[in-house]
Amino acid sequence: MADRSPVITGLGVISALGSGIDDIWSAMVAGQSGLKPLTLFQSTRYGQIPVGEITHDLAELGAPLHGSRSDKLAWLAARDAIRSANLDTRSAADRTGVLLGSSVGGTHDTERFLTTLIKHGKVLARPTRFHECSAPVDLVAESFGLFGPSFAISTACSSGAIAIATAAELIQSGQADVMLAGGADSLSHTTWAGFHSLLLVDMQGGCKPFDAARGGMSFGEGAAVLIIEAEEHARKRGATILARLTGWGASCDAHHVTAPHPEGAGALAAMQGALRRAQLAPTHIGYVNAHGTGTRDNDVAEAKALKSLFGANVPPFSSTKRFFGHTLAASGAIEAVVCIEALRRQQLPANPGFSEIDPAIGLSPLTKMRSEELTHVMSNSFGFGGNNAALIFSTADTVPQTRPTPSNHTSVTGLGIIAPEKHSVSERAIQPPLPPDSIKVRACAPFDAATLTPNQRRRLSRITQMAILAARRSHAADPSKRLAVAVGTGFGCLDEGAIFIENLITKDEAEPMPTRFPGSVHNAPAGQVAIDLGARGLNSAPTMGEISFESALWQAINQIAIGEADEALAGGVDELNKYALSIGKRWGFWNEQTIPGEAAVVANLSGASANKPSLARVTAVRLGRYRRPFDAKREADWIAAAVDLSKVNVMVSGAKGWSELDAPYNAVVEELSRHTGRALTHQTYKQDCGEFYSASAIGFSVAVELARQQQCSVLLYTLSLRGGKALCCIEP
Amino acid sequence: MPIATTELKAKIIESLNLQDVTPELIQDDAPLFGAGLGLDSIDALELVVMLEKHFGIVIKDIEEGRPAFKSVRTLADFIDARRSH
Repeated sequence: MADRSPVITGLGVISALGSGIDDIWSAMVAGQSGLKPLTLFQSTRYGQIPVGEITHDLAELGAPLHGSRSDKLAWLAARDAIRSANLDTRSAADRTGVLLGSSVGGTHDTERFLTTLIKHGKVLARPTRFHECSAPVDLVAESFGLFGPSFAISTACSSGAIAIATAAELIQSGQADVMLAGGADSLSHTTWAGFHSLLLVDMQGGCKPFDAARGGMSFGEGAAVLIIEAEEHARKRGATILARLTGWGASCDAHHVTAPHPEGAGALAAMQGALRRAQLAPTHIGYVNAHGTGTRDNDVAEAKALKSLFGANVPPFSSTKRFFGHTLAASGAIEAVVCIEALRRQQLPANPGFSEIDPAIGLSPLTKMRSEELTHVMSNSFGFGGNNAALIFSTADTVPQTRPTPSNHTSVTGLGIIAPEKHSVSERAIQPPLPPDSIKVRACAPFDAATLTPNQRRRLSRITQMAILAARRSHAADPSKRLAVAVGTGFGCLDEGAIFIENLITKDEAEPMPTRFPGSVHNAPAGQVAIDLGARGLNSAPTMGEISFESALWQAINQIAIGEADEALAGGVDELNKYALSIGKRWGFWNEQTIPGEAAVVANLSGASANKPSLARVTAVRLGRYRRPFDAKREADWIAAAVDLSKVNVMVSGAKGWSELDAPYNAVVEELSRHTGRALTHQTYKQDCGEFYSASAIGFSVAVELARQQQCSVLLYTLSLRGGKALCCIEP
Repeated sequence: MPIATTELKAKIIESLNLQDVTPELIQDDAPLFGAGLGLDSIDALELVVMLEKHFGIVIKDIEEGRPAFKSVRTLADFIDARRSH
């Protein structure tokens, strides 16, 4: 398997400290900081304190005119990464995917829409077109003509690192040869007010990671993209290998939504996981780029984890957050670039802002940049929901360790579903500040929350409660099992986010909402499911429009396949929300056929050793992007390459939702029927559950049921309006 | 005039959305955090918002509020002390 080892052949980065790694490194050598007074928006309550804001005109740098601020940052980093890798994207197009972390997405632009609406009563919805955290991935994939597996990861501040780890897994599993992987997040008033509401921000605007007098984080924005390739692919095209990605580990504290585990247990597990994968001992690590946000609790917990892992020999470490500000979903990717460059230059970056050791930490980070022989370095990233990731990069001349061949037998051993009743349609009144309206919806019936704990009932939003209940229905808790969780969502916790931003704009930063802010992130459902079930494996919240569920399914199954989990939950959740309803109607999305819906579906997946009654087996999951104009023959070939069509009797599709996709779906059924010489049955599900991004999770449950009843293989095939596609084969 | 603990309890219940809890169920000297009501660090932040909204008391560092959040009594004393400044 050595030839499928992930190697880094290119990188692109844009940040407040500079664009491009050479500029950034010079600034780091000179000890400069990217932090300067905030100008992107006005903050009456907290003031224009220093942040890592990119003040260049993004269009002048070459960014596309359309798209959110995050989209543009992602595009610039992707362009530079492709250039630096000397990658001919056309020749590798079908085997090249895009995996980016994003937690802000288009929020900065959505705020403009909401401000105009709330303050002036005008509906100018255009800026919300790029609201989704998946928009940067769509833009990059479409703009550079990439058709491999692509989705976004939205696990708050660990997003960038989880995206890089997942990209490596896609390459190792043979799903792609090349991945553009990283993260992008712009500044936004929402995240600004949110972190302030949690009292996590250094009000002097100069974060001091690990220092005794540290007062919190400083904000930043930016993007970084790595070109990760299978080694055989890089060698064949004669690419320069900058470094290897030899280890990665992910874990969940399953402890608290915002507070890290006090002993850093999850952070330790992620670092141990990365070492295990790289087959390295702690003594091999020559440098650690710490998460080091400069908040009181993070730095203490991280230091404890470092001491648990390395004992008395903690390697030189530093947090580079004061250079860039905390760039949230981009931070793991930007710091990965810093680590790769540290290996290339054999230099360890300093930890600006540190001057005095904190007795509660008992460790001193690097105060000055220094030269040292380096072979293996580690980068830590932690996020809300106790979401932890660690990456290990090694010099190009190291020999990567092989891993046992993964198993690929995965059974569906439970399904939990909260969905609208079949054929139920109700009218939903649209509330202010939107103009009054009434829209037909397929809504879930009120569910019984009595089994939830008092804290879950009073604090969690409806979508997160739905996810917890669906997860419980799917899963018989067994503490001896290592459990991973991936809950896909298209729009995330829209209601919670909307209430937070409405309050922010209406009250001009007064009366902040510290409970709602962490409840509004895309990984709130996945994180709360983990807390509820004690799931300490990978915790992911992939998002990619209509293939959000399949993205989660791939991640969940792969955790079992590579031996990182005994069982895994794959979910899809989305909720009806007045803004999505009202703007969707304005844009002509909703009609007699296309009725908005919602659901929470969680599938419990088990490996071969689980010894549990199986509902069905999942024998293939593939992700990618289709070409325009849509080519049904090409799609049928893609499906035939992954699935034994001779056993497939039924195709379950997302037709009868967006009417534009009906013709493509029908054409693929026809093409597959021609291919097999038998008429395939075309089963749809959106007529029952309505249209929403993670609706294919309902399709999955339909496919499992059909495979059981008819004792045949069932193909689940899903297209997204923005170019994504997914297939899943389910067998009895 | 010192703040009545009953009034304060009502404010706590409202700001933390404590369903099924009435002011009579909260004892003046019982610990607010940990076992009793099951409150945690996020609730402390909500109490910070409540103090500013209803009493005009601004807390910028959660450590500053920590001794005050021990019980309803300590919180009432804290409010009285801050308001008499």
